[in-house]
Amino acid sequence: MNKTFAVIRREYVERVRTKAFLISTILLPVFMLAMAVLPALLMSGGDHTSRVAVVDASGSGLGEPVTAALKAATIGDGKTATPRYVATLFPADAANLAPVRDGLIAKAGFASDKAHDGWDGVLVLDAETLASGKLHYYGDNVSSPEGMSRLQRDISKALAGVRLAHAGVDPALVTKAMAPADMDTAKITDGKLTGQSGDASFALAYAMGFLLYIAIISYGSRTLTSVIEEKNSRIMEVLTSSLTPFQMLMGKVLGVGLAGLTQMAIWVGTAFVLGSQGPHLAGAFGMGAAAAGKFAIPGIPPALLVVFLLYFALGFLIYGSLYAAIGAMCNTIQDAQQYAVFVTMSILVGFMSMFGLINNPSGALGTTMSFIPLFSPFTMPVRWSMTAVPPLQLALSLGLMVIGLLACVWLAARIYRTGILMYGKKPTWGELWRWIRA
Amino acid sequence: MSTPSVSVESVTKRFAGHVAVSGLSLQVPSGGIYGLLGPNGAGKSTTIRLIMSILEPDEGRIALFGASANSRDLSARIGYLPEERGLYKKMKVLDHLIFLGEVKGVARNDARQRAQAWLERLEIAGWAQKKVEDLSKGMQQKVQFAGALLHEPELMILDEPFSGLDPINAQVMKDIVVELAASGRTVLFSTHAMEQAERMCDHVAIIARGKLVANGTVAQVKADFGGRHVALGFSHDRERASAVLADPRLVARVDDYGASAELKMAEGANPEQLLAALVGAGVGLRRFEVVEPSLHAIFVAKVGVDPDAIPLPAAVAGATA
Repeated sequence: MNKTFAVIRREYVERVRTKAFLISTILLPVFMLAMAVLPALLMSGGDHTSRVAVVDASGSGLGEPVTAALKAATIGDGKTATPRYVATLFPADAANLAPVRDGLIAKAGFASDKAHDGWDGVLVLDAETLASGKLHYYGDNVSSPEGMSRLQRDISKALAGVRLAHAGVDPALVTKAMAPADMDTAKITDGKLTGQSGDASFALAYAMGFLLYIAIISYGSRTLTSVIEEKNSRIMEVLTSSLTPFQMLMGKVLGVGLAGLTQMAIWVGTAFVLGSQGPHLAGAFGMGAAAAGKFAIPGIPPALLVVFLLYFALGFLIYGSLYAAIGAMCNTIQDAQQYAVFVTMSILVGFMSMFGLINNPSGALGTTMSFIPLFSPFTMPVRWSMTAVPPLQLALSLGLMVIGLLACVWLAARIYRTGILMYGKKPTWGELWRWIRA
Repeated sequence: MSTPSVSVESVTKRFAGHVAVSGLSLQVPSGGIYGLLGPNGAGKSTTIRLIMSILEPDEGRIALFGASANSRDLSARIGYLPEERGLYKKMKVLDHLIFLGEVKGVARNDARQRAQAWLERLEIAGWAQKKVEDLSKGMQQKVQFAGALLHEPELMILDEPFSGLDPINAQVMKDIVVELAASGRTVLFSTHAMEQAERMCDHVAIIARGKLVANGTVAQVKADFGGRHVALGFSHDRERASAVLADPRLVARVDDYGASAELKMAEGANPEQLLAALVGAGVGLRRFEVVEPSLHAIFVAKVGVDPDAIPLPAAVAGATA
């Protein structure tokens, strides 16, 4: 036992001490934050007020209601609301439409930064617009899908209103009828409201699955490279004359796993401090409370944390021992990769299944996968965070995980015992089978 | 007689395509220095790996301290220096030694103290906090040597412990080995340097091509080889000696080094006749001495190859070394 502990300590200390550990501890959250924030920034096209010129050549006075609708649109709501558009109407007719339009376009785009009277976009309504709904928009932000769909929504509303008014419907009634639906979602567990929104559950489940995926890919696979290094540096001969394969394997997988857990604890701890102390910290750095609100993370219910940690630990050990066994079979990283593909594939299947589960967490697929030890570390925490999982299923799934883990370690130790000293060729499947049975 | 520390009984080990060790039997007595001699590729390292249970014998059995347990269960009593040195390159020297002690069951604090003592003894204490990869090959070898001794084993198994060391470091290591043996412990080491083995070992076993060629105490081996041997040193007119040395009535075998030679007298001839013949031929002699045969001469006679001069083809050597 003390010997295993010595191996665990060595693996742990030697990993945590490296520069690579420090760098990845700092860089990965930055990378993940960038992954989460960048697309959102790109999609929104920036939430700032845009100056829009409305050229009305419809001949039916369409310009005024459209301009009014744009002026009514706001960014945010309540006290913090600011106008989404500054819209200015330019009457025109079919004859001078082209010159008016081109004159305005000349002051749009990059030019808008230089000139005070520049435009972010030019909206052109022509004679067809009312009947067909076709209109043109020229702007520098046309590639922002969110911005465009919002603009289209606002204009459609105005067009619908004008059409209804033309059909003789009371304008007041139109305003009432057009009031938008606004849905909030909330998660229910055991017939009780959890106070979490559906969005938050999704984000939490996704973040946890992603964390596990990253941990196994980056740390689990390290047991593989570490075994191969030991074989190549021939220190294996000293170790194998002092330690049993089980001691070596268990020590290695646990030591590497603890290093991974340490890193994760640093991340989660930091996120927790930032989350709970966010407003204070933001204040200290001179940021407004509103800005701090954007960085708030959803709180993690203790039960979910326990479930996640259990599955994380078990899943990590299973994959870690499989990777170590592959390392024992091979002499070079290149050789090992051929076998490691199978393990990587099942990690990917587990990870990808989370996306399927998000739509139907308690379906047949989700239930089946949470009983397969290779997949359940991914599926079960997702199911737990999104729906109520029957305790019996949880117990069965955990039990199968433990059995699966013992089977994996046993199998890996058998391969390890023979394979670690095979310096020559790669084993065939037949030889592998003999190693396991020996 | 007490239980032998290592007992190898008719052990055979085959690798794909060739036999590395063939029907080998050895008894390493408790206490003293036992030399396992042989040319490259003779099966020395394979024999040692078999003793260490790193390899399993195909036939025969191996017992340590007369027990049936394998070397891993007895690992606290055995220190092992493998032929291919291996250390964790990124670890600090002191930490590494402590780790090696711990996996042999030494408590952490004891391991630390002993490691520091060894580093001082080996004159590399200044490197304790350096990474292993920053050390020279020779220093790494010292570290590994210390690691093998840290748990104060009663049996030391050292595979080519002096290869790759400069004379000064080889001397330091030799002193330690002699000291261990003097304190009643058993040292089994392999080498192809016959002169060194001859000076250090109480017992030797010479193996070639996986088979035992000679074994026993150094005196026994020499006595068994028999014959009268003469060591010659030439001062001038070396070429005039050629005809005399080639005379089969006088000389059975010559081990020629140019400026000196070791030869075995032919059956019935005596050294006086040889001296007379050499002087008669006008050869200038610096030395003429009737000697015991050297292990080297015995080896050359028994195996038919010079252990230092003829490296085996790389493929064979690599597979069996």
